[in-house]
Amino acid sequence: MKTLLNLSVAALILAGGVYLYADDDHEEGEHHRSSVVAKPLSKQDQVSAALYKKECSSCHMAYQPSLLPKRSWDKTMNTLDNHFGTDATLDPSDHKTIQNYLASYASKNDRLVDMKGAVALRISETPYFVRKHREVTKKMVTQPQVKSFANCNACHTKAESGSYREREISIPNYGRWED
Amino acid sequence: MKYLALALLFSTSLMAASPEVVQYMKELESVAKTENRTFNGFDAVRGKEIFTSTHTGKQGKPMACTSCHSLNLANPGKNSLTGKVIDPLSPRANPQRLTSAKEVKKWLKRNFMDVYAREGTAQEKGDVLTYIMKN
Ligand code: HEC
Ligand code: HEC
Ligand code: HEC
Repeated sequence: MKTLLNLSVAALILAGGVYLYADDDHEEGEHHRSSVVAKPLSKQDQVSAALYKKECSSCHMAYQPSLLPKRSWDKTMNTLDNHFGTDATLDPSDHKTIQNYLASYASKNDRLVDMKGAVALRISETPYFVRKHREVTKKMVTQPQVKSFANCNACHTKAESGSYREREISIPNYGRWED
Repeated sequence: MKYLALALLFSTSLMAASPEVVQYMKELESVAKTENRTFNGFDAVRGKEIFTSTHTGKQGKPMACTSCHSLNLANPGKNSLTGKVIDPLSPRANPQRLTSAKEVKKWLKRNFMDVYAREGTAQEKGDVLTYIMKN
């Protein structure tokens, strides 16, 4: 019962984060307004969000669905048997629920413009991401405490709740980010 | 009836796995028997070898179960691909372990693919689970 409760709380946080992030993105360039009340989710979406959170956070944090467009998520979901060199396969029913969930909450903006038709699997290879991180040095990323850009939460202390505000950034061995 | 319940309780706690996982082990056992005529029960010593030896994994590079799980199963491990900490695999150190047959099946399929670049046989799966339960 306790885990069930925890899961649904996690689902709410996750979903809330999605909206927060979506709003931030809308205001690209000026991120001062980030306090948005999360829209309530339907029962079914809460269950799906909890399942997504459980299944897609066992090897890394659960990335917010709004970080990528639907076609990226579809590509990921269709290649889970070789997911960045690891096997991340799911049973058919969970697979379907998660794929539908990602599709419903995927980014509606096309984050893949300028990719010459290629479909990004990684958030960290989208032009939007690359632009936002061009001042982050290679050494900051490859150090053992971070390993790769996939570890958003190594630098963005509130990434798991979907918040990427500058004042919440703390890079291991470098500290806070000041412009 | 009371004795049966007690005996069940005792045997599952001894096996350090939930009745659901014990049932899964029984299924593995019957498959192992049909696949290997000389099969004579699961063996923690073979399980240890499966768990600690290095193989050419899915990525064509050396991998072992202990690339991600710690050699001492009571300690946390670290995912060698992502750096994420993994809670201890030992059911004694971590009572959540080996409680869900669905979880166990899912991870054994994935993890054998990662380390052995193929699915494990029923015997290998049973051996390695027997080893994990004893640690
Ligand atoms: C068995 C482990 C495992 C599971 C389970 C898993 N992943 Fe991953 N994932 C990885 C690895 C390994 C990487 C590559 C990490 C790196 O480059 O540092 C990765 C990277 C990613 C990335 C790219 C991050 C970036 O921008 O660089 C996305 C997106 C992703 N996973 C989505 C998912 C989704 C969706 C699920 C659930 C269906 C999932 N993952 C489940 C292991 C896993
Ligand atoms: C090595 C540390 C590091 C990692 C890992 C990292 N980021 Fe960042 N991120 C930063 C820094 C530093 C900035 C601010 C850059 C600037 O302002 O020039 C930033 C900025 C951002 C912004 C823009 C925020 C704003 O207010 O403009 C977003 C969104 C973001 N990151 C998302 C992510 C996501 C998603 C991931 C994981 C896929 C990730 N980051 C991984 C360091 C990191
Ligand atoms: C690439 C990293 C990696 C490798 C290699 C790996 N595992 Fe795992 N394993 C994981 C992760 C991640 C989990 C799930 C983490 C969690 O539940 O906290 C897991 C979970 C498990 C579980 C599920 C336990 C439960 O009931 O929750 C078992 C059993 C298991 N692994 C056995 C093995 C065996 C046997 C091998 C070698 C064939 C192996 N693992 C190799 C990463 C790995």
